[in-house]
Amino acid sequence: MVALGLVVVYRSTGHINFAHGELLMIGSFLAYSFITQFHIAYVAALVLAVVLSLLLGAATDRFVYRRLARSHDTTLVLATVGLSFLLKGVSRFLWGGRGEYLTIPPIIDPAPIFVFGIPVLAQQLVILAAAIVIMLGCLVFFRATLAGKTMQAVAENPLAAYLAGIRVEQVRTWTWGAGAAIAGAAGVLIAPLSLLTPDMGFSLLIKAFAATVLGGLGSVPGAIVGGFSVGLIESLAGGYISSSLQDVSAFIIIMIVLTVRPSGLFGAYRLRRA
Amino acid sequence: MVRLARAILSGVLGASLSLAPAWAETGVTDHEIVIGAFGVLTGPTYDYGKVVFDGAETIYNEVNAAGGVNGRKIRYVREDDQCKADAAVPAVRKLIYEDKVFMINGGACSNAALAAMPEIVRADIPWVITDATAPQLTDPATPNIVTTFQVGWMETAAQLQRALELGGKKIAIVRQHDAWAASRYQPLLDAMAKRGIKAVADEEVAPDVADTTAVALRLQAAGADSVLLLLFPQAATVLMRDMYKIGYKPLVIGGSPLGEVSEMQHAIGIPGATDRFEGLAPTKSLDDPAVQKYRPLLNKYFPNAELTPWHLLGIASAQFVVAALKQVGPDVTRAKLATVLSTMSLSPDVYAGPIKCTPTDHQCYRTVAWYGMVDGKMKQVGVTTLP
Repeated sequence: MVALGLVVVYRSTGHINFAHGELLMIGSFLAYSFITQFHIAYVAALVLAVVLSLLLGAATDRFVYRRLARSHDTTLVLATVGLSFLLKGVSRFLWGGRGEYLTIPPIIDPAPIFVFGIPVLAQQLVILAAAIVIMLGCLVFFRATLAGKTMQAVAENPLAAYLAGIRVEQVRTWTWGAGAAIAGAAGVLIAPLSLLTPDMGFSLLIKAFAATVLGGLGSVPGAIVGGFSVGLIESLAGGYISSSLQDVSAFIIIMIVLTVRPSGLFGAYRLRRA
Repeated sequence: MVRLARAILSGVLGASLSLAPAWAETGVTDHEIVIGAFGVLTGPTYDYGKVVFDGAETIYNEVNAAGGVNGRKIRYVREDDQCKADAAVPAVRKLIYEDKVFMINGGACSNAALAAMPEIVRADIPWVITDATAPQLTDPATPNIVTTFQVGWMETAAQLQRALELGGKKIAIVRQHDAWAASRYQPLLDAMAKRGIKAVADEEVAPDVADTTAVALRLQAAGADSVLLLLFPQAATVLMRDMYKIGYKPLVIGGSPLGEVSEMQHAIGIPGATDRFEGLAPTKSLDDPAVQKYRPLLNKYFPNAELTPWHLLGIASAQFVVAALKQVGPDVTRAKLATVLSTMSLSPDVYAGPIKCTPTDHQCYRTVAWYGMVDGKMKQVGVTTLP
């Protein structure tokens, strides 16, 4: 799901958002505040966090990225890196001083259940279901809605989109917002299963990046398949080879895919279609 | 005549020397003692420095409010070393040569403290270390340097001892791959080797790992009955959750980052998931009445702060310093303080045991308390004092 947010932004802007992990982190912290401080129900907290993340993402484009649109690509990429540090600093300012990490209570009965003899946490299943719904929603959005097709049009050829009457800058703003909203949703979903720290976003970004590269940069189905594959490879490597390999699997995947098949699993199909 | 003049002059000089004020020592006046602190004050690891020093300053402020030490108020000056060796040296130089501190009560990150150490030794300044854990800082014992916190090897030695005390036979290790765990890993292997123990499993995870099912399965397959964790709360919480998920419930002994067992239980959220877990803490629990009284005191001087275990390290260290200064008496000199520190003993009300220095051992705090969940509440379940 984190990979999906990366892909959404990449499809429309051609840029990897290196602040994506921190947007997820902000989503988690927002959920923390809504649930534990304002005692708002989890689902309502999810909706609120997604809306605020969307606005935050749109604002970053409106006030930062749009101003750098005519600069070299590297400038914009560095701006996303800068934003990631800014968001970490802001989260420390707003949510710091309460111990090293924050926690959100379980959203449902936390006891493990058995699915085909395999023990899983019911919470994990709920989160998986929510993630699948959101991912399918994104697929439908890009393939079946005018807004989604407009975003794709801007991604494929901004000039042609502009000549066709599409307000390219506005579409890009909402694309950054959509990416942030997906990151925020992922943050809220992962929050009950994780501990919240301002530094939680980076490793998730790396794994999401590995999933995106594996699936093919810019491919929504690729991000989904890539995400599941990275998780599976990590667990198998950690379980059957060495636990030390679990964390480096993502980096190994990135290196192998970029060397052997730079277009990723689904990238070639998209290139042929183009 | 010349002889008489010499005699008068030497008499005057002698009298003036004998009447020299007791505060003729750098950093000491008739109404003030300047104590310096260097450590990380900004950035993600500020807990180790700023928060610890807030605890120390709370004690110093309270002592000042009560009239000071032998009539002198304590001024606590801080310098930021950003937890970096290259920033620690100029920070300490500023304390010594610009702020002209009498002594240092600080030192948070080991790498920074080790870099600053030669400068402090050269200046011959008493240094009471608050929380830097590198053993080389105090072993071999340097006359002016003592630590009021545990050093690196003690934690893992205590973890191993506790596992054995509780009947552990097949011991496994799970560590995170970072410098913090690495600094404890080799001492643990050494302690195990001394007892002729070999780990049945030795697993490594990322500090921010999100899923450890594979690791839990490997531990279970190895038949480990006890698991020693060199982990921070994130990884430990995930591992405890995943072990519980697969129905594997070994004895688990955590280090100092896992002392707040109730927080871990809260984070896991599964009743019973931490029933066989014990976490180590050098301090008493935050819920202990002796500790509770420091909440309002801390907020008196730092209104937005929430009391954490890190504050307690500063509180204990400052209490130790104040007691030592009182013992030195009104005629305060660095040499006298160093002598007192070398034989000083104190039981701070926030620590699980006494801080006790000897002339040959300046690693003065060797007690750990064990915390676990009993009937749904975090309680102290044991104490280990290392030889």
